[in-house]
Amino acid sequence: MLLVRPSKLSDLPQIERMARSDGPVLHSLPPDRERLQQRVNDSVHSLRADVDCPGEESYLFVLEDTASGQLHGTAGIMAVAGFSEPFYAFRNEVLVHASRELKVNHRVHALMTSHELTGRSRLTGFYYDEAALGRNMALPQLLSRARMMFIAQHRERFNNEIFSVLPGVTDDNGRSPFWDAVGFKFFRRDFAEMELASGGRSRTFIAEMMQVDPLYVPLIAEEAQRVMGEPHAGARINYRCHLAEGLEPDKFVDLFDAGPVLTAQLDVCRSVRYSRLHTARRGEVGGDTVPHLVSNTLTADFRCLLVDLPPLLGDEVVLPPEVADALEIVDGDAVRCVPLNSEGAR
Amino acid sequence: MFVLRMSRPDDVDALVQLGHKAGPGLTTLKPDPDAQGARLQRVQRTIAGSAELPEQGYLFVLEDTASGKVVGVCGIEVAVGLDQAFWTYRMDTFVHASRELGLWTRMDKLHMSHGLTGYSELCTLFLDPDYRVNGNGSLLSKARFMFIGQFRDRFAERICAEMRGYFDENGESPFWKALGAHFYRIDFHEADRLVALGKKSFLAELMPRHPVYIDFLPQDARDCIGKVHKETEPARRLLEVEGLRLEQHVDIFEGGPVLEARIDDLRVMRDSGLCQVEIVAEAAADAPRQLVANGELADFRVILAAANVSDGVVHLTAEQARALQAKAGDRVRVMLQNPAK
Repeated sequence: MLLVRPSKLSDLPQIERMARSDGPVLHSLPPDRERLQQRVNDSVHSLRADVDCPGEESYLFVLEDTASGQLHGTAGIMAVAGFSEPFYAFRNEVLVHASRELKVNHRVHALMTSHELTGRSRLTGFYYDEAALGRNMALPQLLSRARMMFIAQHRERFNNEIFSVLPGVTDDNGRSPFWDAVGFKFFRRDFAEMELASGGRSRTFIAEMMQVDPLYVPLIAEEAQRVMGEPHAGARINYRCHLAEGLEPDKFVDLFDAGPVLTAQLDVCRSVRYSRLHTARRGEVGGDTVPHLVSNTLTADFRCLLVDLPPLLGDEVVLPPEVADALEIVDGDAVRCVPLNSEGAR
Repeated sequence: MFVLRMSRPDDVDALVQLGHKAGPGLTTLKPDPDAQGARLQRVQRTIAGSAELPEQGYLFVLEDTASGKVVGVCGIEVAVGLDQAFWTYRMDTFVHASRELGLWTRMDKLHMSHGLTGYSELCTLFLDPDYRVNGNGSLLSKARFMFIGQFRDRFAERICAEMRGYFDENGESPFWKALGAHFYRIDFHEADRLVALGKKSFLAELMPRHPVYIDFLPQDARDCIGKVHKETEPARRLLEVEGLRLEQHVDIFEGGPVLEARIDDLRVMRDSGLCQVEIVAEAAADAPRQLVANGELADFRVILAAANVSDGVVHLTAEQARALQAKAGDRVRVMLQNPAK
């Protein structure tokens, strides 16, 4: 059985294996043991802390195959993006160049460095082991959206606005056309070199060197314009998971590779809007079923998995015993359920 | 011979004819009697001291003394940008530097600017193509400096001159194509036509207001910045000899240079001087070519003459003196046409 649970220190070797695997640069899962350990530690402490409003907390969850103990994915949340320093992105702004006299009304896009996302909660650190689990979209959705089930249960820990930055397009040699056409002009070196030069400091440190005037989009090289807001091929699964959850591409793109930034108000996210608490009881599930995301209501012992349940649930929900065991609940405990395809729940 | 003199209200027809010859490129010399008549009245008000600063301006014509025909025109505006905004791009540099990152990158930018507001401006220079000989062009352009030298207090602290920018062999401006075109969706000729209709200020308001990174422009557009049209190169050199140079400002449409100078740094302020006229039968064979100007305002006149100067005396022939409407003993301003090497 595959379930999502908070990471713990003993997961480190497996998390490091995933962080070092091929695929797009992960925006916040560094291929570095020490920093990964920090991430896991932060998560453990955040889950233990009493939180009334979002702050420095960050959370890291893993997707575990309970039969083998193998981990097949990671997914994280930062309670507040840019807690101690601004969070930078490009905002794609529309400027109207109009003249009544000349009867011209013409829109021009310009990228402006923006701090607007600072303070929102951020979904981050997503990695899904497609090689092991295949392309069944239900599993990456479990991993990505389990975070939203956690948020739904612990609203006080998060901002009402969330976003996610996905890796942008790079070519076969890992070069980003956007970086080459924009960042490179300011730094005269590859992004990877920039990250090395920044010595593991946050990307904000680099972003601050790129406090630029608005960049008129028509003046940016065409191959760079084309990739603005496009996810890296390896990030498409996560992109689709976000769309399924209700996040949408917004006017923001990543400062460095123009990767898409998806945003949403928590209230419109499917797992928040359509999930409900039910009283759980062990038993046999009968009749027609559809896949549901089901989580317990705990914090440090949070669990979330996929269960086939009847499309319409009453106050009580019957769960197969092995599911109840995996959720670490007893009869009478509350569980949070939402249909995986929640459009039908409207 | 040719004399450069202050324009008069009855020069209207001559200006209209020159306007026809100049074509649409020279926006301030439209072959429109009303417009030219108004301009000439403006000059008269300026001379009389009844014009407010924003409208003050002078216009001079080059006249063939034999026929009385007007073959060229040039002007000076006293203070630009006080009526309609005077738009330019100002070139500036920003350095992105971080010692910790080992980073140092120079980024040049073009900023929308009204920085030349209040400058005096050399403008409206046109010489009938049939008369582009014998130093007429030089006289037409340089005579303005003689006027400034003579009437320094009538002008601002600084002066500028817009130069026609670079166009490729198809008559296209690479600078416009790479920049302006994105903000208008009209071609350069249409834009040029609108400028000719006096809509430059409206056009300028459509240009990008945020600074433009020069590095984001294609190479051929970058090369246009501060570069003049091939046919304008002699005119540029001429002004540079007089002390103007490209400092920071370029045209917002074509990227052509706007030359500028502090008026007190112009060659005329250093090299010209007042001399008494002495009439001679004939100019000496080795006499250097001089710009000679009378000291009149409403009937200001300048000629180009081979004339010797010694001990505060300039030797002019009777014909030259007549052209200046000067007589023996009058004080005139004299400057070598070209600076001594």
